[in-house]
Amino acid sequence: MKTTQNILKHIRSLVPADRKVRIMNVCGSHEHTIAFSGMRTLLPESLEIIPGPGCPVCVCPESDIINAISLSTRDDVILVTYGDMLRVPSKEGSIRSRGRNYRMITSPSEAVALARSNPDKKIVFFSIGFETTTAPTAAILETGVPDNLFILSSHRLTPTIMEVLVKDQEIGIDGFIAPGHVSAIVGANAWNVFSEQYGIPTVVAGFEAESLMLGITEILIQLKRGMASTGNVYAGVVRPEGNVQARAIMDRYFEVADVNWRGIGHIPASGLELRDAHAMKDARKVFGLPEIKESHIPGCLCGTIVLGKAYPSACGLFKKACTPKTPKGPCMVSMEGSCNIWFKAGSA
Amino acid sequence: MCVGVPMQLVEINYPSGIAEAKGVKREIGLQLMPEHVLAVGDHVIVHVGYAIEKVDRKLADEIWETLDEVLQLMDEEENSA
Ligand code: SF4
Repeated sequence: MKTTQNILKHIRSLVPADRKVRIMNVCGSHEHTIAFSGMRTLLPESLEIIPGPGCPVCVCPESDIINAISLSTRDDVILVTYGDMLRVPSKEGSIRSRGRNYRMITSPSEAVALARSNPDKKIVFFSIGFETTTAPTAAILETGVPDNLFILSSHRLTPTIMEVLVKDQEIGIDGFIAPGHVSAIVGANAWNVFSEQYGIPTVVAGFEAESLMLGITEILIQLKRGMASTGNVYAGVVRPEGNVQARAIMDRYFEVADVNWRGIGHIPASGLELRDAHAMKDARKVFGLPEIKESHIPGCLCGTIVLGKAYPSACGLFKKACTPKTPKGPCMVSMEGSCNIWFKAGSA
Repeated sequence: MCVGVPMQLVEINYPSGIAEAKGVKREIGLQLMPEHVLAVGDHVIVHVGYAIEKVDRKLADEIWETLDEVLQLMDEEENSA
């Protein structure tokens, strides 16, 4: 506790009196710690800690969800995906409300086991997430999967969306807290682009409140000195070069693609699809899945919140029509969604 | 989904292994890490059933402390909601 108090004192002394400082976190687990620790109420008012795109479920396109629902209604298919994905609403409902043959899994290895025990069915793994879940999906492909297992890839790249945010002048980001475990894969060096090209200090932090506050402190020190570099207060896990083996395996199976982000739009080179060499595993190609036009959920600000342009409290439905039990948008469904986290943490 | 938890390796049959946390054992994939860096007794960060990086014991304990706190708070919220 003493260290926490000391760090807080340090932070207060570093925040400039004459302007706002906006630091963005891009990880649902970071936002968890920040919201549940009540950290925002202890920090000076001029220091904003903004939750950014840390929720892969929130940005998964409606088109993929609707395709997943329709695949699950086929007699020859069992659709499998992570728990949060089953409940995300689309204009056609959620997989849970409208799907038929679907199962929740907690690991890609369960999709492999299911394919082995159901040789007469086609198992479609709706695989979503940032780098930390892409690597495990690549791992099952590397080990070899049964012929009746197919991948519907809705993977997204963290560094790319962060660059989009930086270029959007409206947000005005002074510093990034980089996600701990995504960094374990991509490496702390992957964030150098932000300090080198955009002059934005970027510090990798762990998930304890203390680690996050140390990360914030380092960003503030850099800002005060008028410098920008990549820092790492989670060096016990994250190496400068990251996990080279994991990236090599991902690269064998996935290639960068132009994709949609729900509530945000089309972003070039921001997603991962299976390489052509693995087309026979690609559910989009094998089942000829159409691209369905994205719709907008009336009143929902989820996309704006993911971009860090609004807090959940700015949404008129937050805590009223939209709660974790009656989610109107994806940000209230996922445990990594800012609306869900703020609701549960009792943030205003 | 994206939460990484530290687990201790109790058995290695590369490219898979058995890891334990909080008294629960689970089979995990090890192919995202080179075989030669892994030893029984090591702590690793596990995401959706796959080890992505090693971590020392002290940091593993600290991460669990935070996870426990957050999970408990979430439970309390869920029950009162
Ligand atoms: S509170 Fe609900 S409706 Fe509002 S932005 Fe969040 S998810 Fe969308």
